[in-house]
Order: sequence, then C-alpha cells, then structure tokens
Amino acid sequence: MKNTQTILYYDSKVPAGFPSPALDYMEKRIDLNEELIKHPLATFICQSEGVSMINAFIPPKAKLIVDRSLNPKNGDIVLATLNGEFTVKFFKKNQYKCWLCPANSKFPDIEITEEMNMQVWGVVTYIITDVKEVRSCMR
Amino acid sequence: MYALVDCNNFYVSCERLFNPKLEGKPVIVLSNNDGCAVSRSEEAKALGIQMATPAFLIKDVIEKNEVAVFSSNYTLYGDISERVMKTLETFVPRLEFYSIDEAFLDMHDLDYQDLLELGLRIKNTIMQNIGIPVSVGIAPTKTLAKMANRYAKKYHRQTGVFWAANDDMLREMLAATNVGDIWGIGRQYALFLSRHGFKTALDLISAPEQWVKKNMTVVVHRLFNELKGIPAIAWEFKPPAKKNICTSKSFGKLQTKKEDIKEALCNYAANCALKLRQQNSCCRSINVFLQTNLHRTQDKQYSRSITIDLESPSNFTGEIIKYAIKGLDIIFKDGYNYLKCGVIAMDIVPDEKVQASMFDPCDRKKNKTIMEAMDKVNKTLGKEIVRLSVQGFEKRYRLKTEYLSAHYTTDINQILKVKI
Repeated sequence: MKNTQTILYYDSKVPAGFPSPALDYMEKRIDLNEELIKHPLATFICQSEGVSMINAFIPPKAKLIVDRSLNPKNGDIVLATLNGEFTVKFFKKNQYKCWLCPANSKFPDIEITEEMNMQVWGVVTYIITDVKEVRSCMR
Repeated sequence: MYALVDCNNFYVSCERLFNPKLEGKPVIVLSNNDGCAVSRSEEAKALGIQMATPAFLIKDVIEKNEVAVFSSNYTLYGDISERVMKTLETFVPRLEFYSIDEAFLDMHDLDYQDLLELGLRIKNTIMQNIGIPVSVGIAPTKTLAKMANRYAKKYHRQTGVFWAANDDMLREMLAATNVGDIWGIGRQYALFLSRHGFKTALDLISAPEQWVKKNMTVVVHRLFNELKGIPAIAWEFKPPAKKNICTSKSFGKLQTKKEDIKEALCNYAANCALKLRQQNSCCRSINVFLQTNLHRTQDKQYSRSITIDLESPSNFTGEIIKYAIKGLDIIFKDGYNYLKCGVIAMDIVPDEKVQASMFDPCDRKKNKTIMEAMDKVNKTLGKEIVRLSVQGFEKRYRLKTEYLSAHYTTDINQILKVKI
C-alpha cells in the first residue's frame, strides 16, 4: 500500500463536445412578475365575479393586478370600497363630482354623494384572464 | 435620532384591509388556538376588552356588541409585515426589525432637516401602499423613540407622528409618561420606583446622582442614560441563522392516545426538516418533548423531554421523523392528559459541511433527490401535498382556528373575490 495518493473524484459530467454557439447570446427568460408588477410591495391580486365590467375586458374569474401606490386618475379602472363592499369600476371625476362607472349598459353609473362612504383601494393595472372565460362571454 | 414605527392594532388592521365592512366596528383577533384577544380595534378597547383576555370570558360582550372575531392568520400577517418592513427600508439606510409590527429606523445622516415631515411621509406611504395605519415616534434614543411613539398615539392621534425635536418637547413627553410605561421597566420595578416617589419619566431623570448610583443596576443605569438622550442600547442587526429550530404547538384539545400524539409529532418533525432544508442546514441531534397542562390542577402532571443524537447530520423528513418517534416511544406514558408536544432540531450545521459516515445505512444522495422533488411539488401544488403517511390526514390535534380569514396574499386560490 505504499505510494497511494488521493485523487479527487468529481461526480459530474465534464462536457467535452463543441460549446453551444448560443451561449454568448443567453439572456434571462421573460419574467411576467417583473413585467406586470412594477411595485411588488404595494401590489395585490384579486378576482372578479360578475359581468358589470365585461366591456372593459374583465370577464368573470379574471385576475386583476391592483397597485395601491398609484393615485387614481380620471378614467382609471379601480378596486374601490363602497359602503363596506368591494367593487371594480371605472373611476371618473370632474371638478365637482366623482362616479364609479360600469362597462356594461345593463348597469347604472354610481354618482358618489356625501352620505356614501367610497374609497379607492387601488388602481387596476393589468387584467389576466383565461381565454375560456372570454369565449363563454362572447357566446 | 431614532424612529420607532409601530403598526396600529396590526392584526386587526390586516383583517380590515380585506374586509372593509369592519371599518368603525369592534374587531378582535385571538391568539393561537383561539385562546385570548391579542389584537383589538379601538372600538373593541372602548368596550373594555383588555389585552390577553381569554375569549370565553368575554363571550357576552362579543355577542351583545357584535364584535367581529378572528383567529390569528399568521400567513397573512407575515406577508403584510414583510411589505411594511421592506417599504420602511426604502426610507433609511438602517432598520432594525423589532417585532412583526414594529421597527427601529436609524435617522442619522439623512438629508432631511425636518424629521417630522419625514415621519409623516413614512406614515402616509405605508397607509397608501399597503393600507396599514402606523404611528411614528422620533427621538434621540431608542427608549425615547419608543416613548415618542406611545406619546404620538395618545396625544397626536390625528397625525400619529411625534418628533421630540427639542428639550421642551422632550420634557413635555417625559412628564406625560408614567414610570411603568417606560420601555424596559417591568411591573415590579415600576412599583419600587413609585414607592420612592418617582411617578413620571421626568421625575426619574431628575433623580439625584447619589440615589441613582446606590439603587440602580447596570441595566437600569443604561436605561437612565437612554432617557437622558444618551444612546446606550446597541443597534441589533438581523439575527444570524438559527441555532435551534423548534416546532411545537399546543393541541386543540387535550390528547391521551399515543397514536394521535405521534401523528402531531411527526408533522412537527417534518416541519423542522423542511425549515432545515430551507436554510440549507442539517441537525446533529433532536430534542423531543411532551407535557401536560400545568394549569389544570385536577390533572396528574407529567413532563419529559429527551435528546437523541443522529447517526449522521440530516435534514431528511423521513429520518427526522424516525428519530422523533424513537424519542416519543421512550418518553410517552399512558394515563395523562397531554397539552403539548414538540420537536427541536439542535446542533445545526451547514449541509455542505456534512461528512458522510462510512457505515451510513442511508443513501444520502438518493434521499436528497427525493427531498428536492418533494419540496418542489409542495411548493407548486400546495403545502404538504406530498408527505409521509405517518403525518396522517385528519389532524385531530390541530389548533382551533374557527374564525380564520383567507390567505389573501399568498395563495392564488384564496385571493380576494370581488362581485362586480
């Protein structure tokens, strides 16, 4: 047993073929989180149930990306609380008044009056929906 | 200058965020196992519900006043807390995470002259971005910042921010704070101080030097400096990797059968193994413990723990469970009403430093692959989708969480549903 020597054993394959020509061009794959969520700490996701926003491309079961850090502007789609209930509507305002407006002629606009308790919870920035839901709405 | 940012009635605020109906109503959140009220809305406090009151004692008050009751939803609170802390970090170079709902902020070397304005900006940003109301206290030391926070809550309710910017403001705050409400002074010591005629924090810092030297321990002396505006409590950074990992819970109701306790214990052991893998470490020994309810004087009492060394360091679920069962076999005795059991993973080492033992009967490489696959499946499909059969399915021992709200921010199947 003289002249023994320890040899490191590597338990992985050592590639010996031709290196991939794409290696120099490798880039990070597209990350939807990065694309759709600009302010992760202030972003929440909720799900729609109902059809009052159907013409704004929000079918039932759509996942809505809601960013709380944005201030609602006239014409934004918002997640709002109205007298203790959540709703999703267009937010419209002028100098004197503001409204929550659906995107479906079967539903009325809601004018926000003094006695109502309305707060914008966050601004909807993206709508993610299963195409099956869209198809069943078009039928 | 230091700031202490504290989330107001944090657990209640988290529940309200996803349930706007609760605004303006009395709300309480119960501790583990739905035991005591641990977070109360201002309306609930006004009804006289005290901190840590057992739920069964206030049943009538709850019913009569339609108090909304919730079980602790730590999954939700943990996520909201992380959002708050990470947002706070954007304002200052240094932050000390003090508890789930409190953090100290280092306010030195900032470009701001007006720290009150910064405090207001912090408060407004957390409210807008996350929807959690906070109070901010700013002062020359940590102890004073904590006091300033309390002062803000009490005397500056509208803004919720107080900056003890000069000596007059400091004195005003110290005079309004009872010795018992100073951070770090316990009830016994507060009694001692008030017996010696110190009622407020201002009285205390005006104490004659002689008296202080004679009567105060080092700890209190440090606190004394803090109150005078001389920083004496060190900055504490993030805790290092855990030395011990413990998973233990009280049973939902007292347990007598070994089989049921074994099932619970196996789940705790599995949880320990998972936590070890998440921080890339292994443990060399585990401690298994079992105990009855000390407060039930009508019951026979028994409490025992045992430490078992592993043949080689491990973080494999099956192996940790095997040792936990071995421990239970030794310490379990029939005929007792058990309240609690648990597993502590001890003597933790980084898993790359684990040396293979020559006589190890376990195929480490294969096991590692299995664990990796299991963790991956459980991560994508849901917690504990894949588990060992000894972990059981019924969870009879499980904590009572009757009034649990949804995991709104961490589980896609539980997100807020909005009728539109």
